[in-house]
Amino acid sequence: MSFKNDVSSDMNHVFLNVAFEMKKHWKKNRILIVSLLAIALPLLFYAVPPMLGSDYAETANQFASSNLGFITLMIIISAAMFTGDSISGEFENRTGLILFPTPQRQNSIFVGKYIASLLATWLAVGWYYLVTMLAIGQIYGFDQVSMEFCQSFLLALLYSASAVSLIYFFSAVMKRSISSTLLGFFALMMIMPIVSLVLSLGDVDTWFLVTHSAGLITDVLGTSGVSGFSSGPGGGGLSSISPDFYEGVWVMTAYAIGFFAAGLSVANRKKMEG
Amino acid sequence: MDTADYAIRIENLGKEYVKGVKVLDGVSFDVLKGDIVGYLGPNGSGKTTTIKILTNLLTPTSGRAFIKGIDVTKNPKEALRSVGALIEVPGIYDYLTPNDLLTYFGKIHGMDKKKIEERIPEVLKKVKLQDWQHKKIGAFSTGMQRRLAISNAILHEPEILILDEPVIGLDPKGIKEIREMLKDFQKIGMTIFLSSHLMHEVSETCDKVIFLDGAKLLDYDTVDNIKGRLKAQVIVIKFLNPVTPELLTQLNSMELVGSIERRNDDVLIGFDGDYETSFKILAQLMAMNYKIASFAPEEANLEDFYVSVMSDERGVSS
Repeated sequence: MSFKNDVSSDMNHVFLNVAFEMKKHWKKNRILIVSLLAIALPLLFYAVPPMLGSDYAETANQFASSNLGFITLMIIISAAMFTGDSISGEFENRTGLILFPTPQRQNSIFVGKYIASLLATWLAVGWYYLVTMLAIGQIYGFDQVSMEFCQSFLLALLYSASAVSLIYFFSAVMKRSISSTLLGFFALMMIMPIVSLVLSLGDVDTWFLVTHSAGLITDVLGTSGVSGFSSGPGGGGLSSISPDFYEGVWVMTAYAIGFFAAGLSVANRKKMEG
Repeated sequence: MDTADYAIRIENLGKEYVKGVKVLDGVSFDVLKGDIVGYLGPNGSGKTTTIKILTNLLTPTSGRAFIKGIDVTKNPKEALRSVGALIEVPGIYDYLTPNDLLTYFGKIHGMDKKKIEERIPEVLKKVKLQDWQHKKIGAFSTGMQRRLAISNAILHEPEILILDEPVIGLDPKGIKEIREMLKDFQKIGMTIFLSSHLMHEVSETCDKVIFLDGAKLLDYDTVDNIKGRLKAQVIVIKFLNPVTPELLTQLNSMELVGSIERRNDDVLIGFDGDYETSFKILAQLMAMNYKIASFAPEEANLEDFYVSVMSDERGVSS
């Protein structure tokens, strides 16, 4: 087989694996659950204030900022749900015995799994921002959907990629799906924010923690203070130093690429022993 | 031998999971195209490890495994193109349907949509699951899941079928059906490499057998040759006369008779296994005017051979 045909068949296998993984997520109702959550959360910020007789925020960006307070939580839940068992599950449940002895590179299987997890997580992020945008349009008019809001969306997609990569790496390293899922969830939800908090008390800049960079998602809307809670759960916590935009983007990109590459490398070395 | 003649070649294969502990130790053999070869050995002898190396689920510590001349470890994508495999008891995505599962694997094997749609009902019918094509696999019994895994292995009409304990979890009817299916596959020229610890299954299904024990290959021959190498050492005689204690005493005192045992209405005579001796015992019985309904040296089977080679290997005297 020529190099060109070989690459073409590998690409086709990756595509088939992405489609198969998406089907699996769909059949396990994961896409439905996460989509419902991603629609319901921002909808609450639209529906609850009038019910309680409160006013909406003054500007569209302020509304978006409070609305997106839970986007990092949404991303972490989605990433953990779609990625936690992606590699470890095949070994733990012995489904690898039927999946791996096939005429395709293991790389194609594992890359396909990563892309499917990323797409599913991006779908949740997409729902969240779509509902928020519709709410902004309804309350303030669609002309109030700002460039900063679009930047925030792109940063949320980038943070999703880093979260998926980190959990993908845990899934490749750990033997049990429950361990990789929980470790991924708690690393992003608690461990990194706690480390960030503790270090920030000593005025140490925690630029290297991806959860710190996640603060950018709401910071770009220009409504967060320099000091205080920069975002919702898992989104940086109490931070005395706001993340630098380019530094934050660089860190999230590095996590996304680095942990994906490391996870893929570990996964390719894994064998069906025992 | 020309590369084109063999389907599988194992060359000096070695595997250590823990350094110094050999699970496979210099195993070499060829499986010719069109053969059904049984791979026999006790638990832990290295059967599944060999099969996992052959299907790229494990990498060998030493040696090489080839499928149709292609090194499986170096080029698994190409080597596994003509292989259908069923290894141990695989997990099957229980939230999917057979249709979902087989469609995916069909596409991975390069089958087009039309062919997949034709083949899925065909293979499901072969394994008696035609009514379950769109039902969730989670509702399947162990035997049904096993049959589904077999249907997946044959979906793309592979030239080589590698099966690891294929009848585990199947009832006697299911076992018989699988046996008949394998014979049908052989008729269309498929090569089948089959590991099992069920001697009867292998004896009924395979043309050749490989015996493996203690990580090493002990023997590789045709089933007929192996049976031929074993001498039957028991003659089963059915008398028309009633079997009385006196009769047994008389038989025991006969020349060339090693032992006497009664089994229901039969008498089992132990002897040295030589055909000449068998003839002489029969001649003596005839001379003594016994009425004999049948006189048959008990046929040796694979199990006897298995026990004998395993005993030899472990230095057990029989």
